[in-house]
Amino acid sequence: MVKEIVEKIKESISSVEPQETPYELRGYHLFIEATKSNIVDIASFFKSSGFYLVDMCCVDYIDYLEIVYLFNNHSKVCRVKVALKLEPDKPSAPTISHIYNIAHWYEREIHEFFGILFDGHPFMTYLFLHDQIDFYPLRKKQIPVPEEDKRLLNSFNPEEQEDGFFLNLGPQHPSTHGVLRVVVKMNGEYILEAIPVLGYLHRMHEKMAENRTYQQFYPNAARMDYLGALNFNLGYVTTVEKLCGIEVPERAQYIRTITCELNRISSHLLWLGAFLADLGGLTPFLYTFDDREQILDILEAITGSRLTYSYFRFGGLFNDVDDGFEDGVKKFVNRLRSRFSMYERLVTGNVIFINRVKDIGVMDHTYPIRYGCSGPVIRSLGIPFDIRKHEPYAVYDRIDFKVAQGTNGDNMDRYLVRIQEMEISLDIIEKALKDMPSGPVKAEKLPKKLKPPKGDIYHTIESPRGELGVYIVSDESDIPYRMRWRVPSYSNLMTFPELARGTLIADAIATLGSYDLVIPEIDR
Amino acid sequence: MCSLDNIIQAVGKEVIRLILGLIGVIVVVVVNALVLTWVERKVSGHMQRRIGPKEVGPYGLIQPFADGLKLLAKELLTPANVDKPLYYLAPVIVFIPVLVSFIVIPFDGFLQVKDINVGILVILAFSSLSVLSILTAGWGSNNKYSLIGATRSVAQNIAYEIPLLLSLLPVIFMANSLSLRDIVEAQRQGWFVWRWQFFAFLIYFISATAETNRTPFDLPEAESELVAGFHTEYSGMRFALFFLAEYTNIFIASAIATTFFLGGYLGPILPGIVWFFIKTYFLVFVIMWFRWTFPRVRFDQLLNFSWKILIPVAFANLIVTGGMLKL
Amino acid sequence: MVKDVITGAISLLKGMGVTIKAFFSPVVTVQYPKETINITPRFRGHTKLVADDENPDRTRCIVCGMCERNCPSNSIQVIGEKKEGEKKKTLTKYILNFTTCSQCGLCVESCPTDALAFSADYNPAAFNKDAFYYDLLAEFEKRKNR
Repeated sequence: MVKEIVEKIKESISSVEPQETPYELRGYHLFIEATKSNIVDIASFFKSSGFYLVDMCCVDYIDYLEIVYLFNNHSKVCRVKVALKLEPDKPSAPTISHIYNIAHWYEREIHEFFGILFDGHPFMTYLFLHDQIDFYPLRKKQIPVPEEDKRLLNSFNPEEQEDGFFLNLGPQHPSTHGVLRVVVKMNGEYILEAIPVLGYLHRMHEKMAENRTYQQFYPNAARMDYLGALNFNLGYVTTVEKLCGIEVPERAQYIRTITCELNRISSHLLWLGAFLADLGGLTPFLYTFDDREQILDILEAITGSRLTYSYFRFGGLFNDVDDGFEDGVKKFVNRLRSRFSMYERLVTGNVIFINRVKDIGVMDHTYPIRYGCSGPVIRSLGIPFDIRKHEPYAVYDRIDFKVAQGTNGDNMDRYLVRIQEMEISLDIIEKALKDMPSGPVKAEKLPKKLKPPKGDIYHTIESPRGELGVYIVSDESDIPYRMRWRVPSYSNLMTFPELARGTLIADAIATLGSYDLVIPEIDR
Repeated sequence: MCSLDNIIQAVGKEVIRLILGLIGVIVVVVVNALVLTWVERKVSGHMQRRIGPKEVGPYGLIQPFADGLKLLAKELLTPANVDKPLYYLAPVIVFIPVLVSFIVIPFDGFLQVKDINVGILVILAFSSLSVLSILTAGWGSNNKYSLIGATRSVAQNIAYEIPLLLSLLPVIFMANSLSLRDIVEAQRQGWFVWRWQFFAFLIYFISATAETNRTPFDLPEAESELVAGFHTEYSGMRFALFFLAEYTNIFIASAIATTFFLGGYLGPILPGIVWFFIKTYFLVFVIMWFRWTFPRVRFDQLLNFSWKILIPVAFANLIVTGGMLKL
Repeated sequence: MVKDVITGAISLLKGMGVTIKAFFSPVVTVQYPKETINITPRFRGHTKLVADDENPDRTRCIVCGMCERNCPSNSIQVIGEKKEGEKKKTLTKYILNFTTCSQCGLCVESCPTDALAFSADYNPAAFNKDAFYYDLLAEFEKRKNR
């Protein structure tokens, strides 16, 4: 696949020179240097070859700014990094938001954090920040925000500009989406336009990463997505381990897998309760929390925390599991298996639920490439894209498991995919528990101050919501130079405005619930 | 001489009876509302594998009084931009249909405030007024969410009035009278629900759940979408009045169901009023059971359900009953 | 069409069966505070100082400051003094600002003498913020004297 792409791109765009990079060390197969004149052509080439835009971030190297575009393919793994160098003074770049819809938001974010203007972008307003911030936050030096830029950023005011019935969904919700505000323009019960407004939970974890050592960043990872905290922990820890070449003992890998799958089940259980609470059935929420309680008790017994775990360390775990772990997990697996039939009777078969959820929020096949959706959202379309199968980490290459898939891409399929994923996770846990060896859980001889070699790395794992990516740029000191988190809910949420157009508001809320969004991870 | 007999002669038996009846009705309404809040919280709690209120009094029995006291003591906030006459009027109007409907319900053989010979017509006519109160509350609140809730509620109530009426008509045909006492007496040979009116009972029950805005038909108060629907802007005692009216409506809907289909106060051994309350509260429990099991129906599906399924079946039932009675 | 209505009605009845079964099942909640649950031994409450094995009157702390430097939230302040005649510093105050502590465990891990451990205090409550500036040495002394 890599060779094909090299040949094809040399044919279509003559000015590029792709270089192959060691995938094990860097996390991407190809590296392409782009210029302002050919970046749009490169992006169109990748779109027509079926690649999706994984992430678009910017790194400030003081002498120059570098925008990093990462592309990947859903069917065959081929990660490409395209770098665009810009001058640090009044930087500007051409937009690719007309090619990839998701770039719309990425470019807004880069603009407000770095001050790069994208020519041709239709809507350069604040995504996360607000107008009391006078300096571009992620630049290494203090560069003030000029007045005309502030005016441009502040120009989102739908109620004053247009004539129509505007309703705010949120930012407080009765169901646990997080702090998401959607400005909805309505015509009776029908939605004409829906615009999500973010930034209510923005804590600037990426800047915190530039002021802390690698070890001191452990608690931050869990607070980004508190429902899948162990998966975020795992993403961070495996990225740094790959960068430094640290080997993790076998037992630690097995325990990491088992706890991450337990975390996935608990996240899906909470989603199930919240989804139904959105639709009006308040009882299953309590039942799922009852099931989730056992997981939290097991994880509390080994890690000491119930929600924001910082359990993994570079080279292994904080401590080994306790004696009651195996029995507890086996009992939990058996109990949850017997509860699925109850959920089937109460929820899945219920005609009111089916009518609320079937054939609603249907995504067609162009969405995954334009938006870069991942996780159960893309698997419900029938595309079997699971990072655990495509790019295995931990012990997923040694365990045989199925990938849950849907057919239509409607809400019902997203629901069924997550239920199936819970059952698959139970299988994975059982198999991993059987094969778990004994041994040490920490790597030996780790330096007190971890100084990774110079370079960058991008590593992905499969969080309960989709493809989580960590991009670290290291400059040989013990503090990361840049850390970028690519979160799955970001690209999933971006599909919402297009899906919600022309639907009833009750359907839009059901669709929003079926995405399983966790806003803290979007806002970071 | 002002002895009791003189007073009764002067004023008239009927008037005394009416006044006593009204006092009884108000007592029943208030006590019923208190009991139902406690029952709802306990039922919902146990269905969700938790205990409901338990701290305030044994088994939380004094909880409704505590809630009532809190709502009474709350400051009556009036938001600045409301339409004041409509805003103040809505909680008052919501109680009128409720109190009027209580006048004709037969609790026992002679425990009925007034046996009007077009009893059911009075109830149906006044229950349509409850829609007016919701619309007044929604419009007068000057709030987008309330307005959406109110408009939804109007469409829902209009759509479900028709199956309600159509499902009661066969029973009226079979009992040959519009008076509620006569309908109960006509069930001495057997309750109407067993005498071929099972479908009418189901249709009536579903329509009554929709009329009282209970889940699965509680779009006017859809919590996750519209904050609290038409009573978003109400707090304190005004909110308590809406709440009370909703619980009393549930009681009335169940009371009419027992009167028409389950034999009213008829039953062996125990006195009639006890049977009446057992049957009515069983139906109230079933309405609560619905609320804590099912998700909400979407608005257009709700209207489709009424117009495309309930009304044809009700019509068919009516025609079959009419045909059978003629033959 | 009729079949849809019938299957729909049966599905509703099945759902009602689930809730009525739950209605008659025992509750799964714990009536806290009248009943309490056992806290696991590894629970991450706030940290506490551990007594020295040879000399239970003292803590194991050698006032190296590793915990203070490693804390991501700068919540720890270690103050010690060098008493006459002793080789190492002794601890006089150990301030933990629990309002910013994220219970990550880096202080416990990085201590060279294992002087810190997690306590099982799962329900701290106070009326003002100052009560959460724990002086771990004072608490150690209180525990010693009990």
